Amino acid sequence: MSNADRRLRFAYMDHWRIDGPQGYVSQYSSVRLLDSFLKQIAALGFEGIETFDFHLGVLTELFGSLPAAREFMQERGIERVVSLFHAVMYRNGVSQAHDRSTHEALFDHAHHIVQSAAGLGVENLIVMPAGQYYDVEPVTDERIRACAELWSRVGRMTLDYGIKTCCHHEFYCGIHHAGQIRKFYEWSDPRHVFWYCDTAQHAIAGVDPVDLYLKLHGRCAGFHLKDTHHVDRVDDYRQRPESEVTAKTTPRWFWEMGTPEGLVDFRALFAAMKEYGYSGWVSVEHDKADIGGGNYPASTAIAVWYIRNVLQKIYC
Amino acid sequence: MKDQNIPFEGAIRWGYAFNQWKLGWQGFARVDDNIRALKITSASGFRCIELTAGTGPWDPLGRPESIAQHFGSVRKFAAQLDDWGIARIPGVFFDPGQLSFEEGHFGLCATDRADHALIRQQAGVHARFVADVGGEYLVIQAFPPYWRAGQLTAAALSAVADLINAIAQDNRSLGLDTFIHLDALSSLRAAEQIEALLEQCPAPGIGLAFDTAELTIAGHDVVGLYRRFHSRVRHFHFKDALAVDTLEEYRLPNAERALILAGGRREIPRWFGELGTGLVDFKSLLGAMHELDYRGWVIVESDRGPQPVASSILLNSWYVQQVLRPLQNRPLPDTR
Repeated sequence: MSNADRRLRFAYMDHWRIDGPQGYVSQYSSVRLLDSFLKQIAALGFEGIETFDFHLGVLTELFGSLPAAREFMQERGIERVVSLFHAVMYRNGVSQAHDRSTHEALFDHAHHIVQSAAGLGVENLIVMPAGQYYDVEPVTDERIRACAELWSRVGRMTLDYGIKTCCHHEFYCGIHHAGQIRKFYEWSDPRHVFWYCDTAQHAIAGVDPVDLYLKLHGRCAGFHLKDTHHVDRVDDYRQRPESEVTAKTTPRWFWEMGTPEGLVDFRALFAAMKEYGYSGWVSVEHDKADIGGGNYPASTAIAVWYIRNVLQKIYC
Repeated sequence: MKDQNIPFEGAIRWGYAFNQWKLGWQGFARVDDNIRALKITSASGFRCIELTAGTGPWDPLGRPESIAQHFGSVRKFAAQLDDWGIARIPGVFFDPGQLSFEEGHFGLCATDRADHALIRQQAGVHARFVADVGGEYLVIQAFPPYWRAGQLTAAALSAVADLINAIAQDNRSLGLDTFIHLDALSSLRAAEQIEALLEQCPAPGIGLAFDTAELTIAGHDVVGLYRRFHSRVRHFHFKDALAVDTLEEYRLPNAERALILAGGRREIPRWFGELGTGLVDFKSLLGAMHELDYRGWVIVESDRGPQPVASSILLNSWYVQQVLRPLQNRPLPDTR
């Protein structure tokens, strides 16, 4: 099958660090390091990257402008920044999606980000739709409705910039149980709010991402394909300050696809994507792959091996 | 995923060496780690690998006995390669100067005829493995380092040539070619010596394995040297060189440590680099290979470097796909 016949294109969500002469640094530290990162990703067959909104500034600093940054990426085989992860700093009384009194600030911040992103080819603004669980609980229907209102409004605005607002449910997010997720998508505007399927986050939360995809496929605008070896059975999602990095039970939550201990049924997911004719970008993510001595290039290559040798035989 | 563009069939057949993973005796000894490395190489777009002859129980892919112990048998291992995304093992690199537990030596010397029988026996072990897995060649680093053998005399050169001819005869009976690899420390240093060697080691079963970085470090102009010997060059190792041994420190005792690892008097921090980062003019070399109708394997190597091994492979993969392959677009008639 040629590239033109494929329904899926792959992007890389850029958790990545480089161990160099200056120690352990971000690939955004210099043009040279970003060059190396982009070449490695492109060599594997990725055509896009995803990054965090707080990298917009450094991209401008390194290249003079975002169009120039995109041109640099394209020269290395990366077409665009497919998605920006909108890293909302949720704070009680200042910025909480379940607190309507803070919606103006959250809306304005999202507006500023999409306005600032012009020139990178961004298609999605990914956001955790509520604060951390311990800040949101009790997670009442009213609070879920407030979150749905905010992101419906933001989603309408971002579409004016050609960007979809996609909600991404970390396992410690205020909205992460199956029932909460169902209500959120019922009460948010289906024209303006989309679902981003992070396979590991849902699996950790005890929600089968394949089952969720079967229910929400019509709202799905993308994926973060990553695996986990653990389900949170002891309410680690309530762990302060952030369950993803400070949970007492589990030092490393996320793994690349293709490890024998992985819990996500990626084969079934790709079969479901085929059944519903999903078409577009699919992203691979390795969040904190370096915990325990791993490294991002190796984890990413293993995930790509799994895609090429297992998943693409099901759907591509 | 977007298609990768690194063919292992056609005029130039691309593969990757497997020598960069093993660091230290007890490192990289687990079978799982070796399989993971095969998958990383495959995902990087290289679907053929050249193994390195190893020794001892810590090297699961270093010898056919180890492979049989870990995978059941050599044939079964070969049948499993596709499960890991590897299409073929075209050959093995063999350096008789390295210690071998199995043959019971601390490194043999091809200029010493007394060592020939054991070197030939050891080469046979690896050659039979290559034949069993459907490969094509054995690369042999036949010449000892200068610091060990000294100035290469005509008699010493003839001794090595006789050994190569004997091994090549064995290999031919297995359907394999024999390629002679020269490294930066080799006692065979001058183009005239290469010429004398090739006169004594006739084609077609014997050719040169051209290592771009090693020859550059040794002070050769790789493109010019290839043009001179192109009719006998049958194999390449592509890696870049970051410095030249301008002080002739290949003469230092234990130059593998004193020059390559310690960097010599200049304390060169790193000799080998990813393609396109150093002194080798790969674009000109590929142009010459194209012009002179090279047909054969090009094995890309990482050798030593500070980055994760996967990074080095991926950067080399990018260079092959984005820089070298587009230069290779002129179709060649299939005359061989």
